[in-house]
Order: sequence, then C-alpha cells, then structure tokens
Amino acid sequence: MSRRLSRRELVALMGAGMVGGARRSAARIAMRRGVVGVAGESPDDGDPGAPRRAMERAVRGAMGVATAAEGLAGLFGPSDTVGLKLNCLAGPRLSPRPVLVEALVDLLAEAGVSRRKIIVFERSSRELERAGFKIRRSGGPYLCYGTDNGWDRRPSVSGAIGSCFAAEVSTTCSALISFGVVKDHDLAGVSAGMKNWYGVIHNPNKYHDTNCDPYVADVMRHPFIAGKLRLTVLDGVHAQCQGGPAFFGPGIFPLGRVAVSTDPVAADLWAWQIIEKERARRGLPTLESEQRAPNFIATATGYGLGVGDPESLRVVKA
Amino acid sequence: MKLDRRRLAVLAAGGAAGALLPGWLEAGERPQPGDLLDGEDLPVREASWYKKLDGRKVECQLCPQACTVADMERGTCGVRENRDGIYYTLVHSVACSVHVDPIEKKPFFHVMPGETALSYATAGCNVECKFCQNWEISQFRPEQVRAYHLPPDAMVAAAKRSGAKLTAATYSEPVVFWEYVRDAAAAARSAGLKPTVVSNGFIQDQPLKEVLPLLSAFKVDLKAFTETFYREQVRGELEPVLKSLQTIHRAGVWLEIVVLLVPTLNDSEDEVRRLAAWVAENLDPSVPVHFTRFHPTYRLTNLPPTPVPTLERAWRVAKAEGLDFVYLGNLPGHEAENTYCPACGETVIRRLGFQILENRLQHGHCAGCKRAIPGVWS
Repeated sequence: MSRRLSRRELVALMGAGMVGGARRSAARIAMRRGVVGVAGESPDDGDPGAPRRAMERAVRGAMGVATAAEGLAGLFGPSDTVGLKLNCLAGPRLSPRPVLVEALVDLLAEAGVSRRKIIVFERSSRELERAGFKIRRSGGPYLCYGTDNGWDRRPSVSGAIGSCFAAEVSTTCSALISFGVVKDHDLAGVSAGMKNWYGVIHNPNKYHDTNCDPYVADVMRHPFIAGKLRLTVLDGVHAQCQGGPAFFGPGIFPLGRVAVSTDPVAADLWAWQIIEKERARRGLPTLESEQRAPNFIATATGYGLGVGDPESLRVVKA
Repeated sequence: MKLDRRRLAVLAAGGAAGALLPGWLEAGERPQPGDLLDGEDLPVREASWYKKLDGRKVECQLCPQACTVADMERGTCGVRENRDGIYYTLVHSVACSVHVDPIEKKPFFHVMPGETALSYATAGCNVECKFCQNWEISQFRPEQVRAYHLPPDAMVAAAKRSGAKLTAATYSEPVVFWEYVRDAAAAARSAGLKPTVVSNGFIQDQPLKEVLPLLSAFKVDLKAFTETFYREQVRGELEPVLKSLQTIHRAGVWLEIVVLLVPTLNDSEDEVRRLAAWVAENLDPSVPVHFTRFHPTYRLTNLPPTPVPTLERAWRVAKAEGLDFVYLGNLPGHEAENTYCPACGETVIRRLGFQILENRLQHGHCAGCKRAIPGVWS
C-alpha cells in the first residue's frame, strides 16, 4: 500500500541521503557488511582505562581503521546530533555500563562531534537512573534523558508496525547508535542491538507475538532508524543466556567482550551465536528447539539491512 | 462534558477513598482522588486473572490473547506487568478520560433514554483496530497518558454530584481494566447507580461471568463477521467475541451491539446478512444492532467515510433477517436513529444525534399498541 510520506519522514530520508542525494550528515564510511569487531574486557579488571581501550579496539576491528577516532569521524560529523539508544530494562546489573558509554561519548567528541549534540537516551529517565546514569537535559559532557512522553503525535507505518516514534529518532537526532547488551529474550530469542529499537516506539507490547518477527525488522527498516543508524555497540562484559529480558542471576555469565559493528544484523547474529554457545555449554536446549529462535534476523537480512548468514559473518578480534 | 482536574476533585470530594487504601500495594505517598498521577510511579494492584508459570513467567487469563509474560514485561494490552513473577494491573483507579455523557452516546438506545452516564477509561487495549477512534488513549501505555487517581468510591461520588444515573466503562477497552470495572460497578450498584460497559467483548469467559452480575447493560463492538477482518484489521479473533455475546445475553444483562461498517472491508450485503441472522438465531431478534458510519482515522486513512446508502442497505438487510431494533449511527438526523415499535410501526422514541426529541414509551410499552419494548427503562 503506497502512502504519502510525512514531512518528518521525508526529512529523515533526506538526512540519510536516500532522496535526491542531498546528504545532510557527514557519514563517509559505508557499512562493513557482516563484520563485527570484538574486543576483550575482563569482568574483573579494576583498571579504569580498560573500557576505553576495549571500545577503541572494537571500533577499529569493526571498521578496519587505524584509530577509533578516525573511524567514528567517518561515520559522524560536526553537524550531526548523535543519539545513543541504551537498553536499560534489566537494571544496573545488565545494562550498558556508564563507563563504557562514556568511553564512546569521549571518542565521538574526539572525532569532532559536539558534546552538546550527543544524546544518551532510553524510553524513560527512570530506567536510565536505575542503570546508573545521571539525567541531564543541558550541560555536562553529554545529554542524557528518557523519551518519557516525547512521542510523535501521529503514528507512522512500517511493514506490520504502526507506531508513534520517540522524538529523539524522528526529529532530534540525525545519526543513531544502538547501545545494547547481549541477552536472552523469552519471546524474541535474543535482545541485543536490533530489539533495542523497540524502545523508540510507543506500543512495543503490540508486537511480541510470533517471536517479534517481522516486527523487529519492520521497526529497523523505518526511515527514522534505517536512515540514521550508523553503529551498533554491545556491552558484553556480562551477558545472559536464559531468563531474559529481565535480569536473571543464574543466566548471567562473564563473556568479557565489547562488540561493535556498522552492520546491525551481523551484530545480532554474533550475539545469537554467543548465547547459543553458552546455552550448549550448560546443556540448555537451543532457542530454536524452544520455538523462540530470533527469526527477525533473517527477516532483517531479507530487507537488506545487513548480513544474517553465519557463513558470511566475520568476527574481527581486536 | 469533560471533567478537568479541579472539577473532578470537587465532584469526588465526598468520596471515601480512604476505605480503599489498604488495597494499594505500593503505598508511598498515597494518591488522593483527583490527583494527577506520575506516569513513572503509578499505584499498582495484583491482577485478578492470571496463572503463575515456571521461571517467573505468568499467563494472563483475562482475554483470549492469553499472553505469556516474562519478568519485567507486559502483556499485549500494555497495562499489565510481570514483576518478579507476580502480575499487576497498572490501571486500577488510573483514569485518563472522565466525562459525563448522554447514554445515547455509548450508544445505548434501550437504556434510560435521556439520562447521563459518568463515563471513564484508562489507557490500553487488548487489540489494535486500524480504525480506532480513541487510539490516543487505547494504544498507549498508562505512563504515556495524563491520568488521575479516581478510585471507585470517588467515581460514584462524582457521578452522584453530576446527576448521572449510570456509569460507563468506555472509550478505550474496559477488558484491560477489568478489576477496576468490577470494583467501580460494585460501588455504583451499592449507590443506586446502573453500571454499564462498552467493550469489544474480547474477554475470557471466567472474568466475564464474574463481573456480569454487577452490570446493568453491556454494549459490544462487533467489528465484523469474519475472522479475516479480525485478524488483519483488529489483531483479534471473532469466535471469542461471539461466545461473549452469548454469555452476556444468557446472563440476562441488557445487550446492544454496534457494528462499524468500513467500506470494502466488512460492509458486504452477504456479511451483514450472516451477522444479522446469527444475532437472531443465537441471541434474540430483540437485541438492538447499531450500524455506524466509519470515518478515516489512525492507521486507516485511505478509505472514505461509509456511504449512507451502504448503511441504509445494512439496515434493510438486518430488518429482513428479522431483527426488531436496527439503528444507524454517526448519521445525526437520519430516521433510523429512532426506535419504532416492531408490532405497529409507531415511533416510540425520536432522536437527533444524542438528544431525545420525544419519548412515547409508557412503562416500557408502545403507547400505541401496548407491545413491550425491551430495555432498561428505569
């Protein structure tokens, strides 16, 4: 069914360079399809510099560049307003750690993005605070707040979903980063980078049947996301292989990895493999045998959003 | 008439909200009737209809979606949340819409004509109609809409002060706030008010049967008469709704049905005929059926309003199938807004929109031929 685009959607498309070639943002580096950069960070490492070093290595591995700042400068420019969407649903024990998020913020700033234009956000301020972040709507080294009631007033349709989007993705930001974790999800199978975007629609509860498929991919391919998403980051120092999406102690394991990719589908495929590997080690059934395989990965691949074929996945250990 | 916060507080002033406070699980600073609620700190109550499963999961037993919900997750309605293996409703006494409406607006055409109903709703819905007129509350979560604390006793006090003789759980989907409906209906009944519900009827049998004895009237939106429509346009199912209609009718609660005719999707002559025949055969020919006019909204903006001839055809088809009381809605001034005596054809109640122009009903009977006209008249 064809549909007239709203002005906001048109602007989003133009910002992504999908209309008329008028690229508003500074992205110069294309997606490295199927490549995930993975760096080790020990869960027990008390070294305060470790998160930063892990982030730098993971970015370099993901982008094949000499320095992280060089890679990020190719994705984000001074004119960009960069939104980092966190997934803090599981609380302080399984959310992106502030120290790792701030490492990326620092790298973005070093790459030329104004700190006033870096927004760390989640669906609610309450969840950010629970995860250890300080709410800041102005000032400080970066902005940090929840969407709370800042939803678009009209729904926007993408495939099977019809939702009001968070203003951060529809309006405020010109470039986006998904900053998630690596965890099991009782319905979707895996919650990593792509499922994280359920937090920018007002009605995610409507889209959890059939293992969230095709809904996760439908959210992802909306111009508000697909046109702006540059990077996926997964804080996998600790991961969870069962009992998600909430924190479930027995399901936690020390993965000791930070993963970065310009390919959101590949990042989720990597997370799926990690979860299955740990489940196998523990003698747990596969997600598929529990009828909750993350089929949205294949759907997203079919949409051309990235690489979901295990044969084509390239993990660069940095 | 919409009640603003100040007016709501004044109306509710006589309410004994304190009597309910022991029921609140998260006390903190307890909200008072009429208080604007903090969306991040809503009062919660344990849900009444669910089953605990292994691994801190729960299975909701309120509606046919029967959601299996993991810890920290919500059902498809968006207003019930699993917190560490216990399922909570987030919308008991959390009213986002409160109005005093003519009962004809629900629409009930056989329930106390000309009276008003204190009408209330919370956020949330268990389906997602692409043509939802109230999507700005039904398709949002409770923390995403402005809401007031309105416990049942305060609601009854507000209704009394406004002069309303009925209450109506309506606007969004009462099934998702069924515990609130139950408690508000009990309070209303105790105070001599008539509680009513306006719903999609998409509810499991047990919770429906538990609340029906408290209700005076029930209006069901029968969205269509095909599973295809329910699946593709509603994200629900037809069969459970038909079952609910039978349960309500058998319980002796006054029932009216509304069918929104959406051009090309559920307005064929054949579908209307099968629907009307089903009502006549499985319920009763005296159950009023309202065919109402669609207007483009929400996610269904590519279709025009229902043509008047389509509505008039539905009226003729339903009458031909033997239904006694067929109405057309969203057509102010149309003669099919009136109630006619099925025996002598006299006009019993004449309406213009939600207004009663003339009521010739005499103790529930036609003034002309004395035939009984079924309904809740006093």
